[in-house]
Amino acid sequence: MGEKILEIRHLSKNFGTNHVLRDIDFTVDKGDVISIIGASGSGKSTLLRCINLLETPTSGEILYHGQNVVGRGVNAAAYRSHVGMVFQSFNLFNNMTVLENCMVGQIKVLKKHKEEARAHAMEYLEKVGMAPYINAKPRQISGGQKQRVAIARALAMDPEVLLFDEPTSALDPEMVGEVLSVMQALANEGMTMLVVTHEMAFARDVSTHVVYMNQGVICEEGPPSQVFGNPQRQETQDFLARFRKN
Amino acid sequence: MERLIKLGQDMVLLWQNYSSGYLSGIRSTLILAVVATVIGCIIGLICGVLNTIPYAKNDPLPKRFVLKLIRVLVRVYVEVFRGTPMVLQAVFIYYGLPYFTSNTVQWPSVWAAAILVVSVNTGAYMAESVRGGIISIDPGQTEGAKAIGMTHVQTMLSVILPQALRNIMPQIGNNFIINVKDTSVMFIITFTEFFAFHRYITGVNNMYFPSAAIEMIGYLTMTLIASILLRWIEKWMDGSDSYDLVQVDPLTMTAGTYSHPDRGTPFDERSKENRERIRQELKFGRNRGDR
Repeated sequence: MGEKILEIRHLSKNFGTNHVLRDIDFTVDKGDVISIIGASGSGKSTLLRCINLLETPTSGEILYHGQNVVGRGVNAAAYRSHVGMVFQSFNLFNNMTVLENCMVGQIKVLKKHKEEARAHAMEYLEKVGMAPYINAKPRQISGGQKQRVAIARALAMDPEVLLFDEPTSALDPEMVGEVLSVMQALANEGMTMLVVTHEMAFARDVSTHVVYMNQGVICEEGPPSQVFGNPQRQETQDFLARFRKN
Repeated sequence: MERLIKLGQDMVLLWQNYSSGYLSGIRSTLILAVVATVIGCIIGLICGVLNTIPYAKNDPLPKRFVLKLIRVLVRVYVEVFRGTPMVLQAVFIYYGLPYFTSNTVQWPSVWAAAILVVSVNTGAYMAESVRGGIISIDPGQTEGAKAIGMTHVQTMLSVILPQALRNIMPQIGNNFIINVKDTSVMFIITFTEFFAFHRYITGVNNMYFPSAAIEMIGYLTMTLIASILLRWIEKWMDGSDSYDLVQVDPLTMTAGTYSHPDRGTPFDERSKENRERIRQELKFGRNRGDR
């Protein structure tokens, strides 16, 4: 595989006495599309939030190109600008238009010139099919459209990895497709992605690697054909059986 | 009835003789209220922002100490100035300065003292409003900003404060209107605003009630105009409800998509389209399905 971008070592997270993540280990190589699946409350989202330092891990290391980003003296903001994140609830800036949402990070964080930022933002807004709506405010567009803008906003920062935290869970069923097709296009272009999802079809067909989490630990991982086709652990089989029934 | 007519006549008489005095009083009141509200909002904004700087348990001790100290200081300021009457604060600040410096330092003008007292007072009220405005913004907004690498200051300036400011606009308006009225206590430090002129009038003649009536009408006019202006500003801050499509979106059907949830759909009786259709029908008559 390609070069290592992220390496998570012995990552644990406690909320009080509640151990949400226990001793998580895995690596993200360039070009990987990793799906993290598992029941609600299994720690998937917390893991993603820890990777983006929105939650501070209780112990363990996150190596970004070999450098630990957990702990004091780390410029979290600079690190985050290389790691994009797409949220379940979109989190678009309500006081800005679609275009401004995609420009503000480039201007404030990457110190780009306004014209340059605009051209770059437009490139990605076109890619996600939101170019017609650049003048709209987030409250004026649908959930699926918001999520596409959020993806464009993250992409406009030229991140090395894109984290998706259940990007389609807050959407109406008819809008899930438009977001998934954008994500699939990104995956095909070789974007490195880490996707927490309940969309099993996406995990099976698009990702290169699947991680099944159960009660704060990685229960099983491997290529999708193996995890979905021939799950080794009883927990994985039970989890997947529930999806097959539906 | 005769009482009312007499009152009206006296008011006209007063106005004819002293209109310039009343008007200059109104001018002073408005200048003081506007300047003090603006400065007070800035003070409140600074205090509110300082009060909401987040810190975690594992931050270094000096940082935590400084932030804690700032919070305590802001708290003391807010409690003292919110908890004492402005008229007494004016006395303490205006006469206190020469008193404590044995008359070596005097206020350069009564204006400076008045603006200081009213701004500091407004700031104390606004500090809490701003804090409320900031914490009312969805934490997702902060996370979204952090996720693209913004620092705390950048997040505050470009994402949180613009939204918080919009949310506390009614509070700012409230404070402005309160200031228009409450600057009247500044007569205590010989500041000649609108109400001070009423005191002057009642000193030179006995038309106490007609003058008070003029004052009432004057204050009400000022605050009503202020209310209308503030509504306009709020509307302006909200921006337009509609937007232009630059081209067609290839991924979704635009038919049936409406710019705002409040606008409803064509099937909704309260929608704009329906209102427009009814208006057209009333004007030109019904053009279909009519027998």
